[in-house]
Amino acid sequence: MDRGLILEVRDASFRYAGAARDAIAGVSLAVSAGEFVALLGPNGSGKTTLVRLALGLHDPHAGSAAILGRAAGQWPRGALARVVGVVSQREDNLFPQRVRETVRLGRYPHLGPWARERDEDRAAVERALERCDVAGLADRWLWTLSGGEYQRVRIARALAQEPRLLVLDEPTASLDLRHEMELFELVRGLVDGSGLATVLVTHDVNLAARFADRLVLLAEGSVRAAGTPADVLRRDVVEAVFGWPLAVSSFDDRPQLTPLRRQP
Amino acid sequence: MKWLVLSLALLAALLAAVTLGPATVPAGQLFRSAIFWDLRLPRALLALLVGGSLGAAGASLQSLVRNPLADPFLLGLSGGAGLGAVLAIALHLGGAWTLPLAAFAGALLALGLVFRLGLVGGSALDPRVLLLGGVAVGAFCGAVTTAVVSLAEASALRNAYLWLWGGLSGASWDTVTLVAVYVPLPLVVLLAAARPLDLLTLGEEPARYLGTDVAVTRRRVYLAASLLTAAAVAVAGVIGFVGLIVPHLGRALFGGRHRALLPASFLAGGILLLLADTLARTAVAPRELPVGVVTALVGVPLFVLLLRRWTAA
Amino acid sequence: MRRCAQLLVLLALACRPAERGASTGAAPARRIVSLAPSLTELLFALGAGPQVVGRTAYCLYPPAARAVPSVGDGLNPSVEAIAARHPDLVLLYRSPQTETAARQLDALGIPTMLLKDDRMEDVARTARLLGRATGRAAAGDSIARVIDSLLAAPVLPTPTRARIAFVVWDAPPIVIGSGSYLDELVAMAGAENVFHDLHTPSATVSLETIASRDPDWIAILRDSLNAQPPAWAGRREWRTVRAVREGRFLILPAELFGQPSPRAPEAVAFLENLLNHSPLPAPQ
Repeated sequence: MDRGLILEVRDASFRYAGAARDAIAGVSLAVSAGEFVALLGPNGSGKTTLVRLALGLHDPHAGSAAILGRAAGQWPRGALARVVGVVSQREDNLFPQRVRETVRLGRYPHLGPWARERDEDRAAVERALERCDVAGLADRWLWTLSGGEYQRVRIARALAQEPRLLVLDEPTASLDLRHEMELFELVRGLVDGSGLATVLVTHDVNLAARFADRLVLLAEGSVRAAGTPADVLRRDVVEAVFGWPLAVSSFDDRPQLTPLRRQP
Repeated sequence: MKWLVLSLALLAALLAAVTLGPATVPAGQLFRSAIFWDLRLPRALLALLVGGSLGAAGASLQSLVRNPLADPFLLGLSGGAGLGAVLAIALHLGGAWTLPLAAFAGALLALGLVFRLGLVGGSALDPRVLLLGGVAVGAFCGAVTTAVVSLAEASALRNAYLWLWGGLSGASWDTVTLVAVYVPLPLVVLLAAARPLDLLTLGEEPARYLGTDVAVTRRRVYLAASLLTAAAVAVAGVIGFVGLIVPHLGRALFGGRHRALLPASFLAGGILLLLADTLARTAVAPRELPVGVVTALVGVPLFVLLLRRWTAA
Repeated sequence: MRRCAQLLVLLALACRPAERGASTGAAPARRIVSLAPSLTELLFALGAGPQVVGRTAYCLYPPAARAVPSVGDGLNPSVEAIAARHPDLVLLYRSPQTETAARQLDALGIPTMLLKDDRMEDVARTARLLGRATGRAAAGDSIARVIDSLLAAPVLPTPTRARIAFVVWDAPPIVIGSGSYLDELVAMAGAENVFHDLHTPSATVSLETIASRDPDWIAILRDSLNAQPPAWAGRREWRTVRAVREGRFLILPAELFGQPSPRAPEAVAFLENLLNHSPLPAPQ
């Protein structure tokens, strides 16, 4: 096994109970340390199912999903949380919380039910706050933050887990241009700075192409294209997947898509 | 510092509970009087244990069902306890401990039903199903109670309800010992679930990603909190508002982390019930108010205050 | 079970007696439905038993009353079940619920009387009223005279003037106050209700209060004539009350004591007899 290989999904298929077709069928995905992989695809193409499979929330009906060589579903949740940090699409704080408090939750996988927080836990929290540039917000209430600040805080919490794999599920949805850019810059910096393996699910094809090392384009539950941005974002492939006419240009040596008007 | 204040408040409440009462006991004879040793002291300790249990159960249930308005009695246990008590009366079951035991059995029955209903929504005990199941089981037990009463004798209802709202008048060293032996286990289970409970307040999915086995946590917390409530209802009847208000006070003072919140809610619940019961015994002496009335009279204004704070925020 | 019914009667707030309906001078009622145990007993005492065509499930005295068909509950009466007995007079214990039932019966053209017989003097007045309504005025007057003379008779205190607490419910403890028939019986028997200062028929009190008032006797009502102390007497908190510790219970037959009754003299004698033959231990 490649020592750098963190996540490996191989020929995985999964069908929800009562569904007519497989949510994903024969999908493979490998992510190594220091690699930034973006998961693209239309709504309902199986991105979330693939992520859930990779995180052991579902067991594949065929094929396999493994993290650090161990089947994802076999990991005890606590042990998995020491290896994988996830920024999920939604979360809903029941009670008001402050920034540092919520980031401290990221240390829980490292603490037994009775153990007190150690110095190294507090240090990890401060480090995570700094790395996401939210140390200045540490004492603020979560509900006073802007959308971009809030997402950075959630990434800080995932970093406090000191994971080897970071999974982000549409972290830039509903963020404005600047916050979106800041977030992608942050993730890129984390990958480069710490060798974190990163999977990012997004609808922003162009930013994915600018920042990610590899793209995986899903359609109807299978991988339509995977590889470098230039390999994946070919006009015919993307047009077919999204069902919309496009023009492909290039910026910073990365492909960029421009959707076309149907009736110019 | 906060803990010191809480401990001092507890001492003061205990002191008030054992020195105040409808009977006048000269201070010098207090420690030699049966009223102190056999009535006031066990009653005060029972108030502390029951109030504490309700506080801790309320705090954990609010996080479990993700509803800040959850009260330990929302999950159908009082209905089950009432049914148990009414059945015991209707079936002419005698014996000194019949009513508490029957109420406890009824509460356990309701607990089991709600738990089973909760599993309908999946092994992870969907909190919405749990809440609806609790309300449904409570209403169902209430209906069966009414049916039993109308078929047997209308006044049985009244007596069962007198008992069900009777508060701490049944306190003795027997009940205190029983509760003191019983309560630590569910409390330890709740405390062990303190970190997973913190995570559950973020939602089911984030909690999972932060290492929580959601299904196991929910089952343990539900069972432990319900067992605490069932014991409370068996020895002290239905006492509203303690389990609802105390966790919010605890959060305001000690933050949302359950490692601090649960012990704080236990202490604050004990203090609140001690004070409420002292008031119930002395306010209209020699008559006595149901302690549930006092907790509601104190609890509702506090609750309104909390609501105002929330809506203002 | 019966004590529940009695408790309910005792708990009902006793106040102004007020009767209405059934104009005097009308023909005597021939078909009477009685919706209170005390009224049923009084009717039978008047010799009007054969005119009673309906009773409540709790009207068990005199034994002959049990032969009368039951119409169910008296405090929450079923108008339909009552009407099915085709009564020409319905007697109700006055309460908000029974007032509604009385209005409904009036609307059906069935005469009603709402009576509140909570105290000894009510028994005398009710006896006269029912005597006239049933065409047995002489019997009514004679019962009333017996009660009046009992009320007028000087009370001979028992040698020790026994102090009694009537406990009607144990959790929470409920005792009888001065607004009640039982309190009157206790006084007439020359004893003292330690909760005479509570002006309601009954009240919830704390055990501490009972213990500190330290009654010589705990009186309880019971259906059966077994002399066993009540189950709650074994509970440790109750044992702080000296009378409970010493097993000093007055077990009174509910059938005689549970409701205001023309047999009040008998009840007083019963209680006097119990107290005189169970002398108190010398005070420590």
